[in-house]
Amino acid sequence: MADSLLPKLRAGSFLVSALSLALGSVVAMAAAPAAPAHYTLDPARSMLRFSFVQAGANNTGRFGKFTTDVLFAADNLPASKINVTVDVGSLDTGDKERDDSLKGADLFDVSKFPQARFVSSKITQASAGRYEAIGKLTIRNVGKDIRVPMTFQTKVESGKTIGYMTGRAVLKRLEFGVGQGEMKSTEWVGDEVNVTFSLRLQPAT
Amino acid sequence: MALRNTTLRWGSLAQLFHWLIVALVITQFVLGALSASLPAASLKKFTWLTPHKSIGITILALAVLRLGWRWMNPTPPLPNTLKPYERGLAHFTHIALYVLLFVMPLTGWAMSSARKFPVSWFGIVQLPDFVPRSTPLYETLHTTHALLAWTLGVIAVLHAAAAFKHHFVLKDDVLKRMTPFT
Repeated sequence: MADSLLPKLRAGSFLVSALSLALGSVVAMAAAPAAPAHYTLDPARSMLRFSFVQAGANNTGRFGKFTTDVLFAADNLPASKINVTVDVGSLDTGDKERDDSLKGADLFDVSKFPQARFVSSKITQASAGRYEAIGKLTIRNVGKDIRVPMTFQTKVESGKTIGYMTGRAVLKRLEFGVGQGEMKSTEWVGDEVNVTFSLRLQPAT
Repeated sequence: MALRNTTLRWGSLAQLFHWLIVALVITQFVLGALSASLPAASLKKFTWLTPHKSIGITILALAVLRLGWRWMNPTPPLPNTLKPYERGLAHFTHIALYVLLFVMPLTGWAMSSARKFPVSWFGIVQLPDFVPRSTPLYETLHTTHALLAWTLGVIAVLHAAAAFKHHFVLKDDVLKRMTPFT
């Protein structure tokens, strides 16, 4: 019975996809998507943090200097774009010795690789207000595709549309070579690094 | 041997607290000294400092339980043969030892907090940082922690010397009543 049902099902699903394609183009013609808004970062009210496990305890830090280039429209995700450039040397964990060791040759090697970069290639919607940015993260000249679940909301503040973007990515530092020599060991410093961000975006003028 | 103290000797639980803390404090001295000999950025430092922090918190918890148990039990009195100044000295060392069992872990925990190197108890529970991040505060706490460690060492040696004097010179039961199987 299952064998005889299968061709019918296939034919049915073909019909549905053909129909939705036709319908989709009608909708597209009716409302051509607007060009996404261009935003610039409000650095004073934005945050880029990271955390990792060291000796069994969660250690936290932040990057003080980073810039973004964001084009975003919820109804035009194919034209939306999120680029982030981080000044790695601006990291701050609250302890100078730990910061210096993070900036050193065995970890970020800031003197050779001063910047880390994220360039989105695709943004998809998960549910209302929730998205996923897929793109290439480059640290220490090692590029890797990552997925960043995120939220985006706009609020009108004194006549301007302000964008609020938050998100989180879980990275493995060793995949980017952040851990050379004895720092390759995960005995005291865990491989997993949590990166979170909360950005306030102003319309670019 | 009874679990509870009597007016003649310490019970098995009080003895367990005493000797367990003795062993842990000695371990802390060794781990602390090994750790202090290495720079902060060295990974090897974690080998000594991580168990040092976990054991320190264990001692803090044991000290709370021990003091609670002491309050719930009779305390075997000091022998009547003590001169008043000896009695005073004995009380002073006992109180100082109890105080240091609390102050040592607390200053250690505070210095970790001040430097934002949070304390994890054997990787199971992470303790909250309870002082603000501050380098001068860290330096002060670090110095205090080290000075108090040496104070604890001196008082513990004095305490042990007194116990040996009771046992070998005065030949009374002061040491025996804190010793199992006697």
